[in-house]
Amino acid sequence: MGASACHGFVLHRHDYRDTSLLVELFCVGRGRLPAVARGARRARAGGRAALLQPFQPLWLELGGRGEVRTLTRVEAVGRPYALAGRALLCGFYVNELLLRLLGREDPHDALLDDYQVALAALAAGGDLEPVLRRFELRLLDALGYGLALAVETATGRPVRATADYVFEPEQGLRAATATDDPRACCRGVTLLALAADAKPVDAEQRREARVLLRAMLAPHLGDRPLRTRALFQQWYGRRG
Amino acid sequence: MSERALLDQLVDALRCLPGVGPKSAQRIAFHLLERDRAGGERLARVMAEAMTRIGRCERCRTLTERARCAICADPSRDTGLLCVVEQPSEVVAIEQATDFGGRYFVLGGRLSPLDGIGPAELGLDRLEALLAEGGVRELVLAISPTVEGGATAQYVAELAAAQGVAVTRIAQGVPLGGDLDALDSGTLALALAGRRAF
Ligand SMILES: [Zn+2]
Repeated sequence: MGASACHGFVLHRHDYRDTSLLVELFCVGRGRLPAVARGARRARAGGRAALLQPFQPLWLELGGRGEVRTLTRVEAVGRPYALAGRALLCGFYVNELLLRLLGREDPHDALLDDYQVALAALAAGGDLEPVLRRFELRLLDALGYGLALAVETATGRPVRATADYVFEPEQGLRAATATDDPRACCRGVTLLALAADAKPVDAEQRREARVLLRAMLAPHLGDRPLRTRALFQQWYGRRG
Repeated sequence: MSERALLDQLVDALRCLPGVGPKSAQRIAFHLLERDRAGGERLARVMAEAMTRIGRCERCRTLTERARCAICADPSRDTGLLCVVEQPSEVVAIEQATDFGGRYFVLGGRLSPLDGIGPAELGLDRLEALLAEGGVRELVLAISPTVEGGATAQYVAELAAAQGVAVTRIAQGVPLGGDLDALDSGTLALALAGRRAF
């Protein structure tokens, strides 16, 4: 198998042996795949370690065969998305979601576009939460776990703005009953806003959307908690 | 039979050294046994002692066999200047290359959200307590310019700002003797953005 080139991103990287890097990539036409950049940490590696970082659009040439490819060339395609503060943590969160949920070598080009849209929105500053919610929905759709948010899943009845709903794993959305925990409920108005890709209008809608997406992601993430979520709480929890 | 096994064990143990593969490990083992037993014995003695006695400085977390390292214990150091680095080896590098006269704080790594390395793992509660004691007027960030290093620097800067401590960062740019056109675009952009009066 000869070398092949593609555009993509580094989702995560680790030091490997004395001078190399092991990178987890998300590439056009390839999806998520691991690769080794040999000697990338040497002082004379021509800035490869500087390029092989998260949020930097890259052109990558991959050689070798087997499960872990060898990175033969890498170039920057424009500047990195400049994330700082909360936006940076959000970027790490998005990368963790992709690492946890994407299978290896399963192409997701549309999702890669959504990923870049999300990074651009995070870098632009402003309201971060709707960016995450939108990306989470796109990710679930891409993986085949998506849900029509404007209808009750079992009955197909349209969601009413004034009613309350609950998400159940494997069952989807249903109308809330008096026995449901109100904190797990989501108002119809929030579901309709998410379905229409509209921004949340108030703090309560944000909370509902966050709880809903967390519940929708949970069955696919399994028992292991998301590490970026824990850091977010550690970082911002105590200082508000 | 048992001697053979011990030699194997030695070769195997030497492979924990960075950059030492099976061939080099064998070469080192034979060298010590055949040509430099005294050197080997000294290495074994010092190695054993270092591994049990060297711990972390209670104040700055660098490596030392005392409760406080030589730098923290030195009364002539400027206690108002605190340089935050990732590794103990960087303390040594800065000490050898510069006349920085302040003190240090060693994180032992950088925030790596995806690997579960958070503020607690880097002793940042200790740094916060240190800053709360007062006396530090400037905190110098000497953290690697990676995405994760950036997150780390930002966290430390927020801690310092909350205590009213001024924060600076070491300059980033062109290495001495380097050619501009061989530089990666990110470094070049930083170098240009960080230009100053000539
Ligand atoms: Zn010390």
